[in-house]
Amino acid sequence: MTAPVHQPLNARGKLASSLPAEQLAEITELFALRRTGYSLDAPFYTDSTIFKIDMEAIFGQHWIFAASTAELPEPGDYVTVDYGPYSLIVLRNDDGGVNVLHNVCRHRGARVLTEPTGSTGNLVCGYHSWTYSPSGDLIHASAPGETKFDKSCFGLKRAHGREVAGLIFVCIADEPPTDFDETSKIFEPYLAPHDLSKTKIAYQQNIIEEGNWKLVMENNRECYHCDGHPELACSLFPTWGLTEGLIPAHLEEVWDRNKQAQSSLEERCRRYGLPYEVVEELDTRIAGIRISRESLDGEGESFSPDGRRLSKKLLGDLPDFRLGRCSMHLQPNSWFHFLGDHVITFGVFPINEHQSLVRTTWLVADDAEEGVDYDLEKLTYTWKQTNLQDKAFVELCQQGAGSPAYQPGPYMKSEYQVEAFINWYVQRVQEHLA
Amino acid sequence: MTELLIETPVREPQRIRGLEMPWNRVMGSTEAPARAARALGPWHPQEFMAECVETIPEAGGMMTLVFRRCDGAPLAFRAGQYVNIAFPVNGEEHEPVDRSYSLSSSPTEPWTFSVTVKRDPGGLVSPWVHDNVRPGTVLDMLGPVGAFHLPDADRRARYLFLAAGAGITPIMSMLRTIHSLPGTANVVVLYHGAEAGGFAFHRELAYIASVDPRVKVFYALGDRGRPEEWEGFSGRLSSAMIEEVAPDANGRQVYACGPEGYLNTATELLKKVGVDDTSIYMEFFSGDRKTLLEYQAEIALASDIAEEIAEEIADSAEDYYESQPSAFGLYEPGYDAEGTLKASGLPLEIVEPEAPSSEAGKGTSEADSAAPSPDASSFDTVGTGSLTLSFMRTGINVRIDPEEHILGAAQRAGVRIGANCKEGMCGSCKVVKLSGEVEMNHQGGIRKREIDAGKFLPCCSTAQTDLVIDA
Repeated sequence: MTAPVHQPLNARGKLASSLPAEQLAEITELFALRRTGYSLDAPFYTDSTIFKIDMEAIFGQHWIFAASTAELPEPGDYVTVDYGPYSLIVLRNDDGGVNVLHNVCRHRGARVLTEPTGSTGNLVCGYHSWTYSPSGDLIHASAPGETKFDKSCFGLKRAHGREVAGLIFVCIADEPPTDFDETSKIFEPYLAPHDLSKTKIAYQQNIIEEGNWKLVMENNRECYHCDGHPELACSLFPTWGLTEGLIPAHLEEVWDRNKQAQSSLEERCRRYGLPYEVVEELDTRIAGIRISRESLDGEGESFSPDGRRLSKKLLGDLPDFRLGRCSMHLQPNSWFHFLGDHVITFGVFPINEHQSLVRTTWLVADDAEEGVDYDLEKLTYTWKQTNLQDKAFVELCQQGAGSPAYQPGPYMKSEYQVEAFINWYVQRVQEHLA
Repeated sequence: MTELLIETPVREPQRIRGLEMPWNRVMGSTEAPARAARALGPWHPQEFMAECVETIPEAGGMMTLVFRRCDGAPLAFRAGQYVNIAFPVNGEEHEPVDRSYSLSSSPTEPWTFSVTVKRDPGGLVSPWVHDNVRPGTVLDMLGPVGAFHLPDADRRARYLFLAAGAGITPIMSMLRTIHSLPGTANVVVLYHGAEAGGFAFHRELAYIASVDPRVKVFYALGDRGRPEEWEGFSGRLSSAMIEEVAPDANGRQVYACGPEGYLNTATELLKKVGVDDTSIYMEFFSGDRKTLLEYQAEIALASDIAEEIAEEIADSAEDYYESQPSAFGLYEPGYDAEGTLKASGLPLEIVEPEAPSSEAGKGTSEADSAAPSPDASSFDTVGTGSLTLSFMRTGINVRIDPEEHILGAAQRAGVRIGANCKEGMCGSCKVVKLSGEVEMNHQGGIRKREIDAGKFLPCCSTAQTDLVIDA
């Protein structure tokens, strides 16, 4: 496939409509020819035009996970979120809500806020000091001698922001998909007891993986590769993703332990009124989701070698540490683990067709004291190791996708969620291109 | 006549989150009347004399002795702590014998306090106490002592109290304290006794459990036979029993008190049901040599501190009481490293109303104590006006009128302050005020946190007093 190197992303029209007809037809056909149950063809992971289509059809149209409440607890706190060509400012306003603004000065386009996080009153562009209110209105630009300068025409562009159960989502589409409300109703009761509004960041890790964002998401959706995660295997049952009848002989003992732990976890959940059922709508809705509360091995409390708690302060009003992990996956860019003692959020922010930023944030109760209630090294160990291993796996696949010898291979039964992710992706893009 | 029972729906009280001891709030107070209430804070042990005002027989061969301090002060302590009392068992002319007894009353009723003493027929002191201490008896005491107590603040406040026999006394204090305070606590008490009629405080326990939805009380008889009508548990403490009364023991803070054998068993069982070591607090009512020595050391430390403080008070009572909050740090539990005796009350946080935040860089108080700063009186003074702005870095004094904006005057005098909008929006002129008062009419260019930290925007501010500015 021959993609023009400098295809401009037309600000007003769709990229698709600005592509030469021939190229568009070629890409449309690639999507149409996608073989169900098989990994994608190489260009999906390597082609810059498809990446631009991804940015437009997926990241430009859907609600994506940006940050958690703990990252901007007070009025004026902000984070900047960059993906593909976009940079957004997510800012806590004085009313307690969240403003989402494009981080592009309306004067000559400079980045307005250059730090990844911080706290600010009004927003001042560092180039010529154009000053915007927290809601994006241009409130000051020195204009000596200007007669026809109307400040009201040059506010920062706004995007949509939503905060649900302590998670902040953004959408840059003019009209965001409305089924996010239904998805929120699914996950809110699972998350609310963990009370993310009373958590703080214990640690945040940003890693750049040399891989297409879809490979990052695919890798997360299966545990077929979990033999490669010795640290995680201590607490996460390596039978994850398998069902009765699919259990290999060497995991039968583990499977029995898993079943027993799950039934005792479910009994606990019923006692405390915590939802635990699996809701799996990864490709049957626009805001695709999978959520469940699942048991952990050992003591069943946290991601530690023996399954015991890693922070001594319970989150929210939870009565018990032994609550396994409530895990959630949201299309297109996030997954989460909510435990009794801490929460881990994962956000994937594509950089280009072969690089992705993976941001992992460990949250603990806001009154937990480092060194007293938790040891930062121990708290973060399992997932730091796991992330590095996953980064390596993703990069191996990216390298493969770049080889002329690469040919899509079959997803195994235990990888049905990977297939669901890809199916969701293909459907969403096709609908956008149609 | 028929008695009419009108069933009214019982509504759960609206409670504050968690539990907070009353002295916690008092600490942050600077107003004089509230500061007087600092006497309620459990700062440190003291030696004092107390007069018995009442004796109350309890079930199980126990007796509660109610005291008041002879000096009229309230007794400040934490629920779970104990006092060391000197009993003249051999008459006034001989050395008294010291014994420690847990306080059974609540520190929220501090004007009198109680200890509850079980008669040990073979003992030297307890029979003497039962037979001789009467209203009017005055005894020397040292207290409060001990690291086994409820925390001063606990947002989660989920407890499992385990008591065996006389071990109920500090637990009773904790329960009475929680019952007397608002808060969303959740308490399960499991109380082991030797015989059905031997549970001290059982009527009050039943009452509290019946009116306080936060509290559940369970009774268990040991393995010495169980009467037919007995409805509680029987048998020794077991993990099944713990699971049954508190299936969420795992997420609770456990306070256990009783004889050594009982507590050693409890330690094992609690581990089995998943309670973290650091969530278990224990008070031993009997113990091996090591345990006894630890208690002796605890009392000796308390005694030293009491002595030290008595001297300070003698030197200057006024100064001493003024500085009481800072003296709090003096008495911390000394046995944390040993594990078993540990009960970590959260340290009281002293709220300084105008503490500069870290963001301030140079807040007022830091500037005062900072390394030699230039003396503004040596600066040149320019301009006219009734007030003086001292710019410490530029080294100039600028006279200004109260209605004049500070930025303009400063810039005219050559002070380099970057500025853009000059309307309080962009924040580019933000500087730190080291002292004095300004009136500021900003438009979002500065955050409350920054203002609290001593910053202001000179473009939209006027001086109300002389100012010292870090610019």
